Amino acid sequence: MKTSTECIAVEGRHISKDFQLGNNTTKVLRDISLQITRGEFVSIMGPSGSGKSTLLYILGGLDTPTAGSVLLNGMDISHFSDEKMSRLRRQKIGFVFQFYNLIPNLNVEENILLPLLLDGKKAADYQDSLSQMLETVGLSDRRRHKPRELSGGQQQRAAIARALIGKPEILFADEPTGNLDSKTGEEIMTLLRKINAQQGQTILMVTHSSKAAASSTRTITVQDGRLL
Amino acid sequence: MKIILKYIITNLKERRLRTAVMLLSIFLSAMLLFVSFSIGASYESAQRKMARGMAGSAAVSVSSPDGSVTSDDIPDLSSIGAAVGILKGAALYHENGYYETIDLIAADLSSLNKINPPRLTDGGEISGFEGNRILLPDRFTSKYGIQKGDDFTLLIEGSPVTFEVAGIAAYDTVFLRHTRGATALLPVKTLAGLTGQTDGYHEILTAPADGVSADLLKEELSAALPDGLLVTETVNEAQIAADARQKSMPFFLISFFSLTMSVFIIYSSYKVITLDRLPIIGTFRSIGAAQKTVTRILLAESMLYGMLGGLIGIPAGAAILRLILQGMGQSLSQGIEIPVIISPAGILSAFAVAVLVSLLSAWLPIRRASRLPVKEVVLGTVKEARSSHRLTAPGGALLFVISILLPRAVTEELLYPAGGFSLLGLIASAILFVPFFTNLCARGMEHVYGVFLGNEGRLAARNMRDNRNTTQNITLLFISISAIIAIQTVGDFVTAYVGDVFNGAELEGFADGPMDSAFVEQVQNMEGMEKLLPLYVFKNSIRAGKPEDTEQENSIILTRLEGCDNPDWYFSMFALHFTKEKPPEISLFQSERTVLLSESCMERGGFSTGDTITLTDGNSSYNYIIAGSFKSRATDVEAVISSQWAEADFGASSYGFLAYTASDPEAVMVQIRSLFGDISNWSRTVEEFNTDALTTVGAFLQPMHSMTYFILLLAAAGVVNNLLINYMQKRRITAMYKSAGLSNRQNMKMTLIEGFSSGLIGAVIAIAISFLEIQTIFLVAGPKISMSPNLEASAFLRAGLMGIGITLLGSAVPILKNRRMKLVEEIKFE
Repeated sequence: MKTSTECIAVEGRHISKDFQLGNNTTKVLRDISLQITRGEFVSIMGPSGSGKSTLLYILGGLDTPTAGSVLLNGMDISHFSDEKMSRLRRQKIGFVFQFYNLIPNLNVEENILLPLLLDGKKAADYQDSLSQMLETVGLSDRRRHKPRELSGGQQQRAAIARALIGKPEILFADEPTGNLDSKTGEEIMTLLRKINAQQGQTILMVTHSSKAAASSTRTITVQDGRLL
Repeated sequence: MKIILKYIITNLKERRLRTAVMLLSIFLSAMLLFVSFSIGASYESAQRKMARGMAGSAAVSVSSPDGSVTSDDIPDLSSIGAAVGILKGAALYHENGYYETIDLIAADLSSLNKINPPRLTDGGEISGFEGNRILLPDRFTSKYGIQKGDDFTLLIEGSPVTFEVAGIAAYDTVFLRHTRGATALLPVKTLAGLTGQTDGYHEILTAPADGVSADLLKEELSAALPDGLLVTETVNEAQIAADARQKSMPFFLISFFSLTMSVFIIYSSYKVITLDRLPIIGTFRSIGAAQKTVTRILLAESMLYGMLGGLIGIPAGAAILRLILQGMGQSLSQGIEIPVIISPAGILSAFAVAVLVSLLSAWLPIRRASRLPVKEVVLGTVKEARSSHRLTAPGGALLFVISILLPRAVTEELLYPAGGFSLLGLIASAILFVPFFTNLCARGMEHVYGVFLGNEGRLAARNMRDNRNTTQNITLLFISISAIIAIQTVGDFVTAYVGDVFNGAELEGFADGPMDSAFVEQVQNMEGMEKLLPLYVFKNSIRAGKPEDTEQENSIILTRLEGCDNPDWYFSMFALHFTKEKPPEISLFQSERTVLLSESCMERGGFSTGDTITLTDGNSSYNYIIAGSFKSRATDVEAVISSQWAEADFGASSYGFLAYTASDPEAVMVQIRSLFGDISNWSRTVEEFNTDALTTVGAFLQPMHSMTYFILLLAAAGVVNNLLINYMQKRRITAMYKSAGLSNRQNMKMTLIEGFSSGLIGAVIAIAISFLEIQTIFLVAGPKISMSPNLEASAFLRAGLMGIGITLLGSAVPILKNRRMKLVEEIKFE
């Protein structure tokens, strides 16, 4: 599928990734090229060790490719400095992880506001957005709770809210239901579908679950470091 | 067993930095403890050597108030091992316009050799020692370039007498002395001729026979000797031990703090080590290892740390001890050699403490880890237990109050244990209080930093709330800083206390020598003279007893009684501290026969204020009322009476001492020395005296100042250890922050702000706790000292700033490590 540049949220060009393990080099990704269009909800599937999470982290700027480039909004981010990359993560990218990764000693609303605070914004100016976001993820009554006081599903909702508070271009999700029971996992997928459908949020998600992948608008499969 | 040992050693090897920090802390503690143990014994030995000086192995001295005691006076007792008669004289050596006091002594050499044999520096024997020959110590001959065989002229009773230098003696045994000048040995007949003491000796020194104690010898001699002879112990063993204890006190304080710090470092390290090893502990447990087995494996590892630390620390401590004692011996004005005393008990204790500290501090976290449910450990679902501030803060507050009040509430006998409890309690209560106080400060800092340092500042402060790593850091820091403050303040106090006996006394100069009224009048008329206080002095010639005790043995000989004509000046010149308030009877001091006695004299004689006592010089007796008692560090006087009664009752006519204040004490001193001319005297300005004393005391305490650097090193090791732990535990959180957009620059800013804030909170707690600890230390020592500690605000602030500096420097490691962090690896797996 060919798409105009303005419509592309993120693009990977000839991405390869090697890992050095002792004297052996393992090729995790081999010359992968792909485009994610704005408003798409794309699932990446594949067996364990296929390289799907590595692909997600490279596209999301948490890791760098051994070869190839990543374009976000048309900008090649593969060789951004730490400062530029951090700013990008604060302003254009949202991440949701399997293990939530909430800061344990900050409460829910502090965790959600974190990207804005790191971006030098005043928390007071974002109280309306915060309330709206808490409402969206269903945590209005848990805003002052610490992560350890929440269930797994609630923690993942808080993580989604944190990823979305800065209105990112794209939301990356790495196995967002992988640590949850099926019922809670379904609730999270419903939430992501809602966000994609109602707000037009671009989502790129890695999952093992075909049930979760069914929620997405497109599914791509990675095997042995290649796209099928 | 072999596999377990291999597992333990692999652990030590793989975690090199942590192993190094843990070993360093135990090594430093073992070393400091060993030096503290051994330096006390070495000090005591040096003190004993200095105190024995003239006496050698003699334990009891027999003398007579009339100045002559003969060998026939000494009974043939089986408790006497050896005895030697000593003749004494005084001389002046004049060189380049400066007079040096020479104390002359003479004794039968064969008897002297049994008690205190002089040693020639060339290793030869003393032979043919008669006529005008003299033995001089090497410290004196090297100063003036005097050689064996040279002619050597002394002024004795105003006349020059020339001797041949028969040999150069080592500066020990009879030549060792506490004051400036030198001691010279003459043949008995020569000195007897020069002093006119042809009948008997000035004193006879007696050494106890094998297996006889000094007390028994003294008791038997006192019983067997005729009345009128004075039997005294040559050295006061209790005093020697007390002096050595006083000088080694700061070293024990150093050990106390270094041990506390080590316990904390090892405890916090093991908390992390056991957390790190939970998967391995899980594996062990899943294949059938019992709780006890896991505990033993982990304890064996900590024991290895303790043993290694002890094995390296003790030899290092011995080397340090040798170095500092050598340096100290060289800088001592007496130039004596301080022996390095290394006792097996010292080695064993230091080693045992190193192993025990290591084992006990690791035991709690290890026990906790090994008792975790197997399922949770295997599945990795263990959650760290959180203690509530609701319990710890009030508990800390209660312990804090008890620690402050206890030493103030107990009787004098219980002061030491109460003081020890208070010191530990203050630290423990502060440890319990740290989380609450940190949260409180962090809340305040969030607002302040938010305004001045932006969101990073606010987040850094926010991160400190409910953060165990931060509280651990602050705890270690406050223990380190308070240790440094307390050790420095106590060390400075000991220096001032031991070195400045005239602290608080008004006099600026003194002269000790025979002075008539014309002499005193000339001193009075010297330019710039302000207050002049001449004193009559009676040494060992006045007895004091209760009027009803007619028997002489119930009375005591006053070692020093002084007569003065201005009691108010006397009190201020010598900084007399009255036992109660200044007694009203003082107003009668000059009009009626009243006497003031030192507290020790009151105790010795069993007297009380208001009692009437009889003072007698053997010829006449007079009743005096005890007006009060006092203690003073500036004078060793036992009794003070009015000079008019000293003249009327005991025929005083020539002064023996004068104290003065003047606009230029040094200029007055030069004139006084000139007035004395060839007359033997000991005259010093207080400044000169203090300089001399501080050379000795400073040399004794210099090692302590050097050892505070080791405490700093230990503190730095602890802080770096904690920051590493902090980094390891925070790695994942930092990765979470980074995934949300935290840049390296922002991370550095936040880490530095957190480091600074931890340092600041630690410093504030340390200043408060060390202030209270110092109060406790001096409260415990208080009854025995008559001086208050000088608390320097600058010392507190300097230590606080040093703590902040160390934390900031230590932040460099996590900042650098975080820059190289592999984000995906940290964040992907829980």
